[in-house]
Amino acid sequence: MRNSQRKLFIMIIPAFVLLILFVYFPIVKGGVVAFQNYNLFDLTNVHFIGLDNFKAVITDRNFNFWRICLNTVLWIFVSLFFQFVLGFGLALLMRKPFKGRGIYSALVFYPWAVSGFAIGLVWAWMFNGQFGMINDLLMRLGIINNNIGFLSDPKFAMMSVIIANVWYGVPFFAIMLLAALQSVPKELYEAAEIDGATKLRQLFDVTIPYIKPTIISTTLLRTMWIMNFPEIIYGMTGGGPANSTNILATLMINKIYKFYDYGQGAAIGFIIMSVLFVYAFFYLRLTSSKEVVL
Amino acid sequence: MTSFKKILKIIALALYLIAALLPFYWITITSLKDSKEIYSFPLKYWPSKISFNSYKQLFSFANFGIYFRNSAIVSLIAAFAAMIISMFSGYALSRLKMKRFKNRILLALYFTQMIPGFIIMAPLFTMLSQFQMTDKLSTLTILYITMVIAFSTIMAKSFFDRIPISLEEASMIDGCNIVQSLFKIVFPLTLPGLAAIFSFAFVNIWNELFLATMFIFSDDKMTIPVALNSFISKAGISWDIMSAGLVVSLLPTMIIFAFAQKYIIAGLTEGAVKG
Amino acid sequence: MKKARFFLLILLVFLVGITAFSKVVTLNFIEVLTSPGRTKVLKDIIADFEATHPGIKVNLISPPYEQADQKATLMLNTRQPLDIVEVRDYTIKQYVNNGRLENLEPYIANWADAKTLSVVANKAARTVNDTAYIVPQFFFIKGLFVRTDILKKLGVNYIPKTMSELVELCIAITDPSKNQYGFGFRGKSWEFKFSDLIATSFLSDINPSNIYKTKDGKIYFSDPRAVEGLRMYKRLFDEATPKDAINWGFNEQVNAFVSGITPFLIQDPDTVALVDNMLGREHYTVVPVPVGPSGKAYLDYGFTGLGIPSYSKHKKEAWEFIKYISSPEVNAKLCKEYGPLPIHTSTFEDDPYFSTGVYSAWGYMINHPEKYIFASYPLNSPKWPGWAEVHQQYMQAFLLGKISLEETVEKWTEYWAE
Repeated sequence: MRNSQRKLFIMIIPAFVLLILFVYFPIVKGGVVAFQNYNLFDLTNVHFIGLDNFKAVITDRNFNFWRICLNTVLWIFVSLFFQFVLGFGLALLMRKPFKGRGIYSALVFYPWAVSGFAIGLVWAWMFNGQFGMINDLLMRLGIINNNIGFLSDPKFAMMSVIIANVWYGVPFFAIMLLAALQSVPKELYEAAEIDGATKLRQLFDVTIPYIKPTIISTTLLRTMWIMNFPEIIYGMTGGGPANSTNILATLMINKIYKFYDYGQGAAIGFIIMSVLFVYAFFYLRLTSSKEVVL
Repeated sequence: MTSFKKILKIIALALYLIAALLPFYWITITSLKDSKEIYSFPLKYWPSKISFNSYKQLFSFANFGIYFRNSAIVSLIAAFAAMIISMFSGYALSRLKMKRFKNRILLALYFTQMIPGFIIMAPLFTMLSQFQMTDKLSTLTILYITMVIAFSTIMAKSFFDRIPISLEEASMIDGCNIVQSLFKIVFPLTLPGLAAIFSFAFVNIWNELFLATMFIFSDDKMTIPVALNSFISKAGISWDIMSAGLVVSLLPTMIIFAFAQKYIIAGLTEGAVKG
Repeated sequence: MKKARFFLLILLVFLVGITAFSKVVTLNFIEVLTSPGRTKVLKDIIADFEATHPGIKVNLISPPYEQADQKATLMLNTRQPLDIVEVRDYTIKQYVNNGRLENLEPYIANWADAKTLSVVANKAARTVNDTAYIVPQFFFIKGLFVRTDILKKLGVNYIPKTMSELVELCIAITDPSKNQYGFGFRGKSWEFKFSDLIATSFLSDINPSNIYKTKDGKIYFSDPRAVEGLRMYKRLFDEATPKDAINWGFNEQVNAFVSGITPFLIQDPDTVALVDNMLGREHYTVVPVPVGPSGKAYLDYGFTGLGIPSYSKHKKEAWEFIKYISSPEVNAKLCKEYGPLPIHTSTFEDDPYFSTGVYSAWGYMINHPEKYIFASYPLNSPKWPGWAEVHQQYMQAFLLGKISLEETVEKWTEYWAE
């Protein structure tokens, strides 16, 4: 048995060689920048400045940091909630075979296959308040009388970018949970049925506990990805109007792309990583996942 | 199932389909419109005359055929490699007994997913350019494997976790060594999971834009997302070519889904456990 | 035997010499204002250049527009083999600061075509330190695009010549119930260029070398005349533009213009080709930008130029190419097919393409310096890079009525004050 444990150890190596070379090594080099005065505008004056970049970001007079944090929380959790619930629903609907399921899954899963920037472009056009398809359809159906400024009205902007994100994220959960659902042994349901459990009870007593590892890892990963996924917002509103959809990830891109300030950009990156780290810690504790005890 | 429930289910499935297809429909009809009709108002939900001009332009004007080939090669190789590597690493993580070590490893995997890509771009570029590794599709392939490997491993582990260890122990008592029992017993059982991992990796790689933009210089090594992105210029988006490009770029992933779903939902687990 | 050996040696030296001499030099050229149409023109020009310059090959790198600056910067900073780099007005100061660009003055001194470079071209070349680090390739100057067909349908038979005429007309033709508005407004992505154009036209003493300052050195925003201009800008938004325009960038502006929702649009000349393709020349025209109450309009000139990386190993050959592509003939070809305005004054005089049709609007503005003053943005200031974001968010808040005009101009002034 000891021999086979050693073999297991060897099996992990290829994956980690790649990660160490192309992720961990560069992140150490890139992370240092967060503590430096590192602005592309003038690289002749790069030096360590301690925590000044963090201070500058948090006390920024023009971009209210706490407001942006609040936007980020809203963006992540509302998106995640609907992605998961709708994705799980779709997985359950598709669990039993029906005619044309292959074609159906290709058509219903494709949003996942659209690249981030394209989602931003297409949805920005569809949500356009003047010549967007969604306004046009709602008008034709008689649901609204005046065009809605989905992306120009601060009341609707966050909701609109979240809708695009949910549209994109549902297939991920559907596919992963569908694959997981296939592994639930039939015997468990048969036993539950004998005990007289309703379908709903079976869902909560049999299905969910059995696929719990998949649920925990997918929701946790998804949280991280949504946090680090600024493309949709960037493409649809650029963080506007008047900061109402600005999140940490878009602020970071702006600091790097627009302000050329790699130092502050990296500082925001650091904040993102720390927040996710703490979140992962509590998430795994709360879900009493025995697998990862930090 | 009562017929009422059946109808409800059909309605629910139809709603999902409509929501998913609405943007696709809009892009498809845009790609079939004449360029003078794209911005016409009021909106037209069907082109007054179907024109394949955008597609013609796409394949003649931009070397879309070459980009398509590059993307296909890189995505297939990288996704397949990631699936194989994660099969082993995921299995190992699932079966390792050293709890603390195992948790550290898992944590290291999760941590890679917390890192915003923008921060490592510049150091990665500096590093790879020192080794003359820029402008190579092979470099891109390796980076893509790295990009999806953490997720693939975590997912693979969660699939292996559900397979009782007693199955392998039984086979090992029968005289199989660990590798044999892996290929004969364990991997076939997780085929749905592996198919899901493969399709996930493929899709992510197929769509990757930033690494490809930064690391590829030559026109004949460009991938599809870069090509699509280059239809955006200072003077806005060329929606005619862009929409045609989007439609074409979606087809392979749709085919992958239609193909992979057979494995994802074929219920292999059940048959294999019984057999 | 000895003779033979000597002969062989001579032959060898000769051969080595020949191969060294005829070795083809490959120049790496990165463009940043990439668009499929322009890349094609550049490739044509490169093919012509290679045909007339055996021994030099040009390898064009065309990253997508949205990531191009990032990529060019990364390549320059890591000293990738680059020999020609397209530099934007926004990035030139940064590249010079970091010592990435070769001083081109000695090259330009011996360049015959330099004599016909326009005043603006000379100014743009010497944006930083009064030294030429680039040779500009073309200019983007705003013009007023007008849907003549729509105006005719609405019974309007004149084209506004002043800002207030324009704003009043836009308001007059606006009828939301018919989905008819006046002006193709811009609410995001460098929207400041549009509000600056209108607000500065109320002042007669803007400093041409820094559009944000008046000639006595004050920041212009809080000047009462500018405040009046900004108030008019808000009226334009409130009464002549769909509310949605707060989230409009280039695409939406053009979309609104082409679909006829807004018959007026202020844009650069490279929009002409696009509008021709989407709409057709018979439906619209371009006229000079209206002047403000000051009788003037301050036009900013956007540009890109070609520079040589300071570490390039083929500077001589790179200059050969820059010289070629910047000659009046080739530059005229590039501008005609791509859209913006050429760099040589002679092109405006010699080529009817640039003196007739829609381009006559730009010709008129260039030839009337008493009305149209070319003014620069403070491209050399370290505050410049972040300005677009800062301006945009306060402008959006102001247009939404979330903050007052006084507060808005105060925030902007504060940003620029040292």
